[in-house]
Formats: sequence, C-alpha cells, structure tokens
Amino acid sequence: MMEKIKKLILDTVAEAVIEEKQKLTVTVEPKKLHLLVQTLRDNKTHSFDYLVNLTGVDRGEELGVDYLLCSSADLSKEVVLKTGTSDRENPLLYSITDLFETAHFNEREVFALLGIRFINNPDMRKFFLNADWVGYPLRKDYDPNPELNPVSIESKDMVDIAPRILETSDGKLVEEFVNIFEDDDYIINIGPQHPSTHGVMHFRTSLDGEIVKKIDVHSGYIHRGIEKLSESLTYPQILHFTDRLDYLSANINRHALCMCVEKAIDIEVPERAQYIRVIMDELTRIDSHLLAWSAMTHDLGATTAFIYGMREREIILDIFDKTCGGRLIINQNVIGGVMFDIYADFQKDVKAFIPYMRKKLIEYDRFFSHNVIALGRTQGVGFMSKDEAISYAVTGPAGRASDWSCDIRKHIPYSLYNQVEFKEILRKEGDAYARYLNRLDEIEESLHIIEQLIDNIPQGDFCAKTKAIIKLPEGEYYERVEAAKGEFGVFIESRGDKFPYRLKFRSPSMALVSAMPLICQGEKIADLIGIGGSMDYVIPDIDR
Amino acid sequence: MSSVSKYFSGLFTGIKSLLTGMGETWKELWTKKVTQQYPENRETLEISERFRCELVMPHDENNEHACTACGICEMNCPNGTIKVTPMFIETADGKKKKILDTHIWDMGMCTYCNLCVITCPSDAIIFKNNFENAVFEKRKLIMQLNQEGSKLREKKKESKPTEPII
Amino acid sequence: MILNYSQPLEISNLTSWFDQYLRSNLSEFWTLLIEFVLVGIFLLAAYAVIALILIYAERKITAFFQARLGPNRVGKWGLLQSVADMIKILLKEIIRINRSDRFLFFAAPFFMIVASMLTFGAIPFGKGLQAIDFNIGVLYVTAVSSLGIIGVLLAGWSSNNKYSMIGAMRSGAQFISYELSSGFALMTIVVLAGTMQFSQMIEGQRFCWNIFNGHISSIIAFVIYLISGHAETNRGPFDLPEAESELTAGYHTEYSGLQFGFYYLAEYLNMFIIASIATTVFLGGYLPIQIQGWDAFNGIMGYIPSYVWFFSKTGFLIFLSLWVRWSFPRLRIDQLLNLEWKYLLPINLVNLLLMVILVLTGLTLKNLFGIL
Repeated sequence: MMEKIKKLILDTVAEAVIEEKQKLTVTVEPKKLHLLVQTLRDNKTHSFDYLVNLTGVDRGEELGVDYLLCSSADLSKEVVLKTGTSDRENPLLYSITDLFETAHFNEREVFALLGIRFINNPDMRKFFLNADWVGYPLRKDYDPNPELNPVSIESKDMVDIAPRILETSDGKLVEEFVNIFEDDDYIINIGPQHPSTHGVMHFRTSLDGEIVKKIDVHSGYIHRGIEKLSESLTYPQILHFTDRLDYLSANINRHALCMCVEKAIDIEVPERAQYIRVIMDELTRIDSHLLAWSAMTHDLGATTAFIYGMREREIILDIFDKTCGGRLIINQNVIGGVMFDIYADFQKDVKAFIPYMRKKLIEYDRFFSHNVIALGRTQGVGFMSKDEAISYAVTGPAGRASDWSCDIRKHIPYSLYNQVEFKEILRKEGDAYARYLNRLDEIEESLHIIEQLIDNIPQGDFCAKTKAIIKLPEGEYYERVEAAKGEFGVFIESRGDKFPYRLKFRSPSMALVSAMPLICQGEKIADLIGIGGSMDYVIPDIDR
Repeated sequence: MSSVSKYFSGLFTGIKSLLTGMGETWKELWTKKVTQQYPENRETLEISERFRCELVMPHDENNEHACTACGICEMNCPNGTIKVTPMFIETADGKKKKILDTHIWDMGMCTYCNLCVITCPSDAIIFKNNFENAVFEKRKLIMQLNQEGSKLREKKKESKPTEPII
Repeated sequence: MILNYSQPLEISNLTSWFDQYLRSNLSEFWTLLIEFVLVGIFLLAAYAVIALILIYAERKITAFFQARLGPNRVGKWGLLQSVADMIKILLKEIIRINRSDRFLFFAAPFFMIVASMLTFGAIPFGKGLQAIDFNIGVLYVTAVSSLGIIGVLLAGWSSNNKYSMIGAMRSGAQFISYELSSGFALMTIVVLAGTMQFSQMIEGQRFCWNIFNGHISSIIAFVIYLISGHAETNRGPFDLPEAESELTAGYHTEYSGLQFGFYYLAEYLNMFIIASIATTVFLGGYLPIQIQGWDAFNGIMGYIPSYVWFFSKTGFLIFLSLWVRWSFPRLRIDQLLNLEWKYLLPINLVNLLLMVILVLTGLTLKNLFGIL
C-alpha cells in the first residue's frame, strides 16, 4: 500500500522528495503542493481527504508549512507533506482552502504567527492577532519587546474588510480587498463578553430579523502564545501547559504530549500507569461531557439542568483532587507514567460513581432528552453532513453525530484502548440533537471502559525512571489522541535539544468553531447559541 | 386524517414529556441539597491530603529543614516562581559550604504543577492542603519558606556540626 | 351569612369603622380625600412588600428545585436578602447611555410599573379589600395590564442597543399573541359567570368555583389562561425577550439602579397579578372552600379570614408558575408563535363555543346538581 501511495505521489509530482520518518514524509515545492494535495484527496483507492494538522514552521533557512493528511475512512493511513519558501520578506504559499475548509482558519493562523500569506485563500486576515501587530511571533527572529506592541486601552472599531491574494488564470497575482458584510447588514456582536460563547469568543453576526445571515469569527482574545513559550521550556515544564489548553480534557491532552515524548525517547510506561491514565482519561471525558451537557441545556434556557450536571461533575472532581491534588488542572501524567499513584479508596469511589452516574443519565433523559421543547430546539437544527464534517475536520462527538467514524481510540488504539471493549457512537442525523445524544451515550461508554479496568489495576511502579534532562533526538513526532471534544494532536519538531524546536497542538475546538458559520447560516439567533452548545468548543483550546 | 391525529398525538406526547420533566424537578425539591456551607463547615471540611495549595518547607522541632540550596526547584519551575538564594559559609575545617539563605516562593505566580516537589533531590519542599490563602495585598503572596534561624538538617553520617545561621 | 365566622379577623371591620369615624367627624369631601390617600399609600406599600416577598420566595424555591439552598446569609434563612437587594438597587448609580433617546429611556420603566400598579386597584384581596369594584373589572384588568408592553418596546427602542431591540421586538410579538389567548380564556368564564364584575363573579362561586362549574371547558380555559399569563409575564420558558443566554438581558440590558428595579418589580408583580386574577376568576377568589350542605365543615373553613384564602390560592398558582419556569428550556420565537396560533388560539375558540353551549343547555355543574 505504501508503495502505491509513493508511486501515486511520484506520478503526480516527479521531483517530490519522499522520506520514511515516523510518517511518510513528502517534500514538494509550493507550486506543486496544491496539485499533489488534490490528487491525494481525490484518488479513489487511498483517498487522503482529512486534513488533520496544518503547521507553520520557521525552519531557519526557510519558512515552511507541514500538512498532516489522513484518510477519513482509516485514520491510521497518514502522509505528511512539506513545503516552504525562502523569501522571508514576503513569503507566499498556495492555499488549499478550496480542498479542505479547515485549512482556512489554520492558514490565517499561520499568517498571523509566521507571516506566510496564502494565495487564493478567500480571507487573508490575521487570526488571533490584530491586523496591526508588529512582527510574527513564531519566527525565530521575533522581537518580543513589549514597546513594539503596547497594550492599548483605546477602543478600536472593527474593520470588516479582508485582504486577499488571488491568482488569475494567466498566473498573475492580484491583491484585493473584500467586504465581509454587506453595507446594510444588521450586525450584532455575540461576544467577546457574552454569557453563551463558552469563553472569550467573538462572533460578528449579521442578522435578517431573527435569522442569522453570516457569522464572522474573531478569536485570540485570550491567546497566550503557549507554542512560543514552549520553545524555551523543557519537556517536563511544557506539560503544565497542556492542562491549560482544553481544560476540560486536561488529562487527555497531557497524555498525548507524554506519549509523544515517551515514544520519541523509547520509554516503556509501566502497566499500572497505563491503567491509571486510561481510567483518568475516561473520567475526564465524562467530566467534559457532563459540562457540555449542562452548558448546552443552559444555552437552551434550562438553568436547572445546568446545575444538575454540575452536581454530578463535582463527584468526579473530588476523585481527581484526591488522586492528584487538582480539580480542573490536575497535573497527573508525567513523562514515563503518572505523578501520583491512586489513593487507597480510589477504586471504591469510582465504583460507587458508576451506578450513580447511570441513574443520573436516566434522570437526564427524563428531564431533558425527551422534553418537547428541547426536541423542537435541537432536532433538525444546525445540520452538518458527513462530507462537511470531514472537510471542516470536525471530529469528536460532533463529527460522529454526522456519521463519520473518527474515534482515534478505535482507529489508532493507544495505551490500553485495544484491550477494552467499547462502542463508537455514531449517528446519522448530523443535527444538534444527535450531537447532544452522542455525548450522553459516550458517558455510558466511558463508564463501561472504566468498569473493565477498575478491578484489574496491576501492581507495580506507577512511573518509569527517566533521565534528569530529557532530550528528544532530532526528528518530527506526531501523536494523536481522542480528547473529549475531538481529535487532539501534538506535533514536535526536535533538533536534539532539551527544548522543542517547534511544538504545535492540534486543537479540536478550532475545527468546531470553524464549522459554526456553515451550520448556523439560516438558523435563528436563538439556535446559534444552542448549536454552539451542541458543538461544545472551549476557547483556550483555540487561543493556544 | 393523519395530520389531525398527528396534531393531537403531538400535543399529548408533548404534554406528557413536560409533565415527566416537572416530575423530576418535583423529586429534586424534596431531595437533600448538595450545597456545602463553607465558613460554617470549616471544622468538618475535609480537604484531600494531596490537594496542592501552599508550598511549604517542613521544619522539624530543632528548626531544621532539608534544603541544600541546590536550586533545582528554581531551575525546574516553568515560570520563575521560586527564588533560592544561597550563601557561603566557612565550616570548621576551613571548607567553603553552600547553605540556604532564603527560599522565596511567589504564590501569585505559581501554577501548582508540582515539578519543584517531584524534582527536589532532598525532599525539602512539599505542597500542603491549607487552602485559605486569600490576602488583600499582592506582596503578601510572596513568601519565604525557610524559617528565621533555621538550618540544614544533619545527615547521620556527618559528624561535624555547622554553625547556626542567623 | 357566609363569612360570619371569620368576621372578627376581617380587615373590612377596621376599614368600615374608620370610614364611619371619619364621616361622623368630617365632611364628605375630606372623608373621601383622606380615604383615597390612605388607599393609595396602602396599595403602594402592598405593591413593594408583595414584590419583596415574591423575590425571596422565588429565589428560595428555585434553589430547592436546583439542589441548592438559596439565599441564607442575610438574616435568618436569608429572610432579609431581598430587603438588602432593594437597598442595593436604590443606591446604585443610574447610568446614562450614550446616544440613547433619553426621554423615552427614562419614561419606559414608568409605563411598565404604572401598568401593573393600575391593575392592583381592581384586585379583590379579601372581603372588602378591593380599591375599586368596576362593573367591567375583567375588561379593565385586561386593558390596563397590556399597557406594560409599551414600556418594554420603548425600552428596547430607546436603549440604542441591538440586543435590547431584538428583545423588545420579540416581546411585542409575544405579548400581542398571548394577550389574545388570555383574553379569550377570561371571556369563556365571563360567559359562564354572566358578569364582568369581580365581586359578583366571586359571590357566584360560593359553593362551586368556576373551574368546577364549567368542568371540561373551564379547566381548558384555566390551563390556557395560566400558560398565556405565564407568557405575558415574560418568564421562562417564555422569557425570550430577556433570553439571558442569547440576548444577555434583552430589553432591559442597559438599565441600572432604580430603573432596572422597576422592571424587576414589575416582572414579579405581573406574576402576582396573573395569579390573583386566575384565583379570582377560576378559584373563587377570597372565598373559603365551601361545600353545600356540610355546614360544620363550612363553619370551620369560614373561621379562616378571606385574605388568607386569597393569598394562599394565589401562592399556589405562583408556585406552579415557578415550577414550570425552572423545569423547561426556553422556546424559540417560532415555536412560541406556533404554540399560540396553532394550539392555544384554535383550542380557545372551540372552547368558548363549548362553554356557550354548556351554559345554554344547562350542563354546568350548578345547573346539573342545583348548587346555589
């Protein structure tokens, strides 16, 4: 199979350089990239139609972009494409937004952080940063002097004009400006301070009466530059950032980074640690889904349900804080294992929680899932087809509600997931209600996974011995896990140092938000909020 | 006809689902509440053993601690929360020795990642679960962990006493 | 004859004694003037006190529905919480909004509060505790309470805030729709009772409340009136004009301090008014539970003063409204209008017809069983 793909690549672009690293890596020149991506996406036998990750890298001599593509039918079939330009003054690459919608926001992010502009991207504004930000933070020669970008307390008007570069049919580049909204649009700002954006998100929404015409997403209000910060921290130090991405999947994110480093330096993680990790991961998932359930019901106006969800979540948080001393930011995984062994009553507490949660799931069903108002508010609302889900890279419960089997735990089983039995919840409806039900069903599946593991935790070490200073050998490392909101990915480019040269987190929430303008169009403004709840994005995950 | 029956069945299943929902809240109305009343329950409040709230350097009854001022915790701290200031003294046999002068911890900066504790070679610092740390002034969050007049705990094989540091 | 037993506890004793005392000492003009002023003060005070009690009750009951304890810091069981809140609201700054229509912005809360206050005058709180007993009481209450919507619309318009505007527009659509239903539901009972005057309506319910008298038809009208009344007060699941999770606070987003307090008060008072009209019209108002022929039982019931009956019936209906509010998610605007125009209004019209038939053919309980 590998050979066939190689042949396909070489047939398309003869001068492509193919290397076999952790993944099949192909380097092509910018002009040929679009063609290659298109061929890979559209070929019948091994269709690479899911863009997992788009990472901009300052490689020193050149500014480049890495694309991780994989097949939506089998997520373990992966290929990495690389391209770059040595022009640091006005770097231009070709956009693949027409092939993968998810590339849109990612390319804008690369522009903001590395200054690479993408030809044919329909809206080349900076994502995360203001248009007038001086410098490109992820470049190695970035000047972090605060005087260059002073904190302004003046209010600035929103400018709804987007620049873009188009290539005409005769190969010329034209720079032009487009208006995001029409002149007489009635625009309201949902966010950055709004009760239902689940964080500091900003949707500029144009309305036609109660109906949403168009949404323009602004993000970056709490961007912390975690990826940049990580470039000057050691791997154990970086770990504490992962809890602060999607804080609801804290343990799972941290698991991903730990696994990435462990694989790179060949550490065998003790069995006991694996068990603890998976149990904690699944508890985290339940915790996240409970919060998602609560927040969504609250978005739909059922405040009481919100508090019921919080009540159950508290029990999980208690288990967390007894295990590892944290409730939200739990700092449990470390490279080589876990930081704390389980406490004496851990198994008892978890086993008491499982039947309790099952009882409460029935209560949730009675209270909300079949409520005629809730059904009216969610069924048939915010429809997303399978193709759209793949194109926008919407994974997790939301992607699976559109009948896309995208559970990394099934496709690329990591840790203990090939030893436990669980169902991947798929639904065909693709509406807000399907996403809602998927989460409740996944809570049940997570309980089932925990049930299988909780009595069999083996004795032994809970953490492998590691060197005092961890250095990753030169190379590129990817790790993908299934976080509560979707696929979470870690990409590390190491140059043999104790610091990563480039670290990138693939955030599931960014894909979820990027699909919002699509699925909210033509819906009522009340549904915009409800759909947001059903997508369940977390803003710090986007504003890394 | 079917649309008429749909109209009425929709109406009745709708009403039934609403009543089921009201039944759930009705049950909750008579259930014991989960709220904990904090200042009142201070006596009975159980904070889990491992809960990370305050970094402390345990001192024994002789006012001795285990910190050798090696600075590993300071090096490992991701955001510069810890500042270890060593000082050099001359021991009785004329050797220069590094001992701890001050160990400063800035609670306001701390992310509670526990790296300092797990990397400390002599287990000199630990996180305590005393969570009532709110203060009115920022500067009070900066704490000195070693007590006034404390000194390094002797290891048993060492015989030469060190001078107390004042 | 009927309320003889509770006579010593009735406030009407006090009022009639006071009336006679004034009349014996002063001229007609002064008597009336003093009485008018006193009634006005009494109503205003009742208005504020009832609102405070309702706010406290709502917060406490809501908390119990939501696995919480509710206010419990200010005073025993948090009893003084709403007093503290009131003081806070009085002390807060009234913020001037840039580029708002200042006159309308200030006027809007008054529309709201005046509308609910006017209704107050026509409500019979107990025997003899009614400021004015119109012969068209039902019509008056319906007409006056619908003034409040002007306040909402003005607030939304004058705030220079898009959220407020959307909230106000929703409110307009909602109010006009549901006013129809509640009007029809009351009309059904007017057909049954044969009068629009509250006092006569109550007297007619001595042994058989209207809700039982018209059996099927009355119960349907009662449920519809509760739903549409609930919707008129802009409370969940019909709280679209405020829709906290969508429009932050809807039409009163920009209000602060006392002005916001007016909206807040009016919201709770409207809830009370709807409940008290439902009590008066459907549940026999301030009359105790009386069963024809059971004189001993009637006697015991009669010992309880009329205003206690009134407030406990009203309180029950308010509890019902809270229960509904905290159990359901919010409707969307199209569902809201669907509910009214597809379900409530047609059912209501048929129901009105049914009631007419019931009354004409003598199928009401009173006629069937010969109750007085």
